[in-house]
Amino acid sequence: MSKKELNNTGAKPDKKLRTKELIYAGAFGALYIVLMLIVVLGTSMIPILYILAPITVGLVCGTVYMLCVLKVRKFGAALILGVLFALTACSGAWYSIVGAIAAALLAEIVIMLGKYKSKKMYLLSFVVFNLNMAFPYMRLTIDRDAFLQRSLEFYGQEYADGIAAVATDWIFFAILGFAVIGGIIGSLLANVLIKKHFTKAGVV
Amino acid sequence: MDFELYGEDKNALVKFDPRTKFVVFAVSLVVSANSYNVAALVIYSVVLCLMLFLCGKKANAVKAFLMLAFAVFLRFSMEHAGTGAPVIVTIVSCILMIFLFFFPVMLSIMILTQTTRINQFLSAFQAMHLPTAVIIPIAVMFRFIPTVRDEWNGIRKAMAFRGISLEPAAVIRSPLKTIEYILIPLLFSSVSIMEELAAAALARGMDRSGKRSSYEEIKLGVHDYAVMALFIGAAVYFIVVSIITGGTAQ
Repeated sequence: MSKKELNNTGAKPDKKLRTKELIYAGAFGALYIVLMLIVVLGTSMIPILYILAPITVGLVCGTVYMLCVLKVRKFGAALILGVLFALTACSGAWYSIVGAIAAALLAEIVIMLGKYKSKKMYLLSFVVFNLNMAFPYMRLTIDRDAFLQRSLEFYGQEYADGIAAVATDWIFFAILGFAVIGGIIGSLLANVLIKKHFTKAGVV
Repeated sequence: MDFELYGEDKNALVKFDPRTKFVVFAVSLVVSANSYNVAALVIYSVVLCLMLFLCGKKANAVKAFLMLAFAVFLRFSMEHAGTGAPVIVTIVSCILMIFLFFFPVMLSIMILTQTTRINQFLSAFQAMHLPTAVIIPIAVMFRFIPTVRDEWNGIRKAMAFRGISLEPAAVIRSPLKTIEYILIPLLFSSVSIMEELAAAALARGMDRSGKRSSYEEIKLGVHDYAVMALFIGAAVYFIVVSIITGGTAQ
């Protein structure tokens, strides 16, 4: 396949991201964000599913993340994805933005420890990356009262009661736990799907 | 499916700079996250509809405005009638609120993606002297959101042809299968589009390190500054109100 040859000749051992890789990162970022929005919007009507969103999003978006980092295989792909995520998903709360970017940076370090070759490290990096899904929920602990009042104003008494029932002090840690679970399931699914479809087709 | 160019601004009544649209987008994110007052949110959404109208997507702007009006009417009449089964009222009002809540973000994404060509983006960002590592991912992301929508529509049609249902019941019965059926074709077609984009970027000399010139004339006019000032003022208003309400809630 001529495409493959092009890839091989283009992949000099330079570490900087080239235009092509930046395009991959941006486009996968768009895919990641659209899928995340679809999943979150589709499930957030029920308070318990709203809290469980790190698992559902991890399940769906794990493959997108994995394909992105496997196609680029350089420093920066996960970070760009994380920054795009932080800018769109954590709007308005600076602590969430910082947390989400930190999670992406940590994922980048995990990949680096695997020297951009180790498959296990790639899979592990999504578990770290998926922690960013937990940070938009920091409002629940930090601005709890304001958040509840807003739920009451917007969604009505029953929804607010539902949120209040689950929004206890330890909820943020529970959500972090959900994010880890979502990351593990998502990366396992991504592993299966990529092996089944993309490796065979020569995409990664 | 309509095969229009992504980002056509020929019919625009007022040509806004991409940077102005970007400010509008950022402000919409802030407003969506910090609004405690439904009336203010609705007024902000109406202003966005007007903006979309001025940018040339008149039909879409009118459509969005009618949807907004319908949602507000439904919410108002449900609040004041006070009849109906509580379960249904809760569910419907949840759906309505999610709609109202995401309306500004969706509309500002429409303003950004449907009325701006990608080279306008690129030259506007270059005028801000941002590095390419920042410019390209953001520009490509906004270019790609309509593409994802198109591919999504195609996949749904293909699934319908083969008799694969996307009803909630079917999704719950076999979630992993559904994810695979949607995700894999979506990713495959997206990857090939990305490769085309990369080839186009190569042909346009995006890899060159020197300064790029452009046919696009990018300049901030008086109307740009006026709109930016208006929207930044709105953002400040929403944040201040949010801080005050947050303070009294404690």
